[in-house]
Amino acid sequence: MNLVPVTYKGGIYRHDEIMDLIEDLGGYVIQKHVLAQEVVLQALVPKDDIPLIASIARPLTGEIVPSPLVGTEIAVVTMSLEIHHLPHASCDVAEYIRRNGAKTNMVGLSRGFGKRIAQLNDEERDVINEHDLVIFLLGDFQTCIQHKFPVLRRGITIPIVISGGPDKETLQKIIDPPVDGYVGNVGRFMHRTKESEELEKLDEVVSEITRVLENKREEMSKDPPSVSPARLMDVINEQVEEIHDVLSPTPVTVQMMGLRVKLPYDTFAPVLRKLTLEGEVKVGEVADVVPSRMRDYILIRIKPFSETNIMV
Amino acid sequence: MDAVEYFEVECPEKTGGDYYRRIADVVLLDHNLIRVVRKLHIFIDPRIPLFVATGVTRKLPGVVRIRDFADVNVQEQKVTISLGEETYLAPLLKILWGRYGKEKIEQPDRFTIVIRSEGAELKEIEDIPVYDPTESLYKDLIYAMQVIQPEGFKVRRQYYGKEKFYLVASENTLPENVEEIVREKFALMGETL
Repeated sequence: MNLVPVTYKGGIYRHDEIMDLIEDLGGYVIQKHVLAQEVVLQALVPKDDIPLIASIARPLTGEIVPSPLVGTEIAVVTMSLEIHHLPHASCDVAEYIRRNGAKTNMVGLSRGFGKRIAQLNDEERDVINEHDLVIFLLGDFQTCIQHKFPVLRRGITIPIVISGGPDKETLQKIIDPPVDGYVGNVGRFMHRTKESEELEKLDEVVSEITRVLENKREEMSKDPPSVSPARLMDVINEQVEEIHDVLSPTPVTVQMMGLRVKLPYDTFAPVLRKLTLEGEVKVGEVADVVPSRMRDYILIRIKPFSETNIMV
Repeated sequence: MDAVEYFEVECPEKTGGDYYRRIADVVLLDHNLIRVVRKLHIFIDPRIPLFVATGVTRKLPGVVRIRDFADVNVQEQKVTISLGEETYLAPLLKILWGRYGKEKIEQPDRFTIVIRSEGAELKEIEDIPVYDPTESLYKDLIYAMQVIQPEGFKVRRQYYGKEKFYLVASENTLPENVEEIVREKFALMGETL
């Protein structure tokens, strides 16, 4: 079954019917936001059933739109948490990506600023590597980007998108070896992005990220994960009672090849490993349950089919 | 930036310079300093790296004295100060406490201060300087320049006074001829430091 990421927006009235429908069709609701009278559902649904959901949602004035970033966790790396970089442009970019369905985490480097003095420490590197994709928000000067970027990318194993003040061609020229995505003309600025030109730039950031993630999905489809992360999320939600007491907005965060579970590692890692997926298959057999560098969370890395020979 | 007589950003990278022009504009506007600055020249060279901001301010308001915001009434045993506005109350009280001692200062209500002192001269009290706006204004200006400059330039030299100010910053040790560079930048604006 081919699940595609979508966003459903509608009124709170009878939205539970839509949730039930998605589950009955074999889809998964990844996140639910209730904003006053509005509901936003981010879900993975079977591709062929989108018209069906749309037709049922129509009398409820709900609409369903494809949003390719649902089910991904993206690191937005800003060079520091000083006023020079926050809230614009870092928060503007993070918020815009979030609106398109991704779960974003902002990583403020402790010593990312400057040219010669820029550094990336091991904790930052490991936290970034726990995501599906990283976008580096660099500054305005070509000279500085060229000089500092090799230091910032050291040890990063996930796809990289960079944005900076110089135009796209210049960025492509100065970054060596090349990274996966480039967005030009989004460097350091200190005003809110609200003009249409600036919003177009943010759209460009989203489309570049989408393009890179599509490539990654295609790569993954050659050797898919042994179990879909969304399905594993469902299993955890059903079988681990304590997850419902977690106050984070997303107690279980879905990634492309795994999950972040916001429960303490020492207590719950053995519990998660023993969960049964289907028949005799346990989570521990199809995934690595490892401690996350983010707080005391648990990271579940689902092994690909080629390693386990199991497909749930 | 129309209110500013002279505003230039000098940078070997054109795109970067244009961004910094916008950044400087936004920051000065956000900090309410656009009306204070008369001329501003910013020089950034990311290759060294070096940031130099030089500027000239408009004529700033002078020192605020008691007579500017209060009526003073001298009697035999006491002096009564009736305040027109409360803005400078805190610094004024501090000065009076230091001068006459806390036990001699009374405040029957928000807008009245009574000094229990004999033989005080009216003129002497009226002329007490309470607040110098230039000091905080220049500090705000230097702070705004630090917000404009690229982050991480922690080695700084700054100067302000006599309607002129400058900030030089780098992440490395400042070049030895830094004063010379600053003078050059002032010369570009048609000013001398």
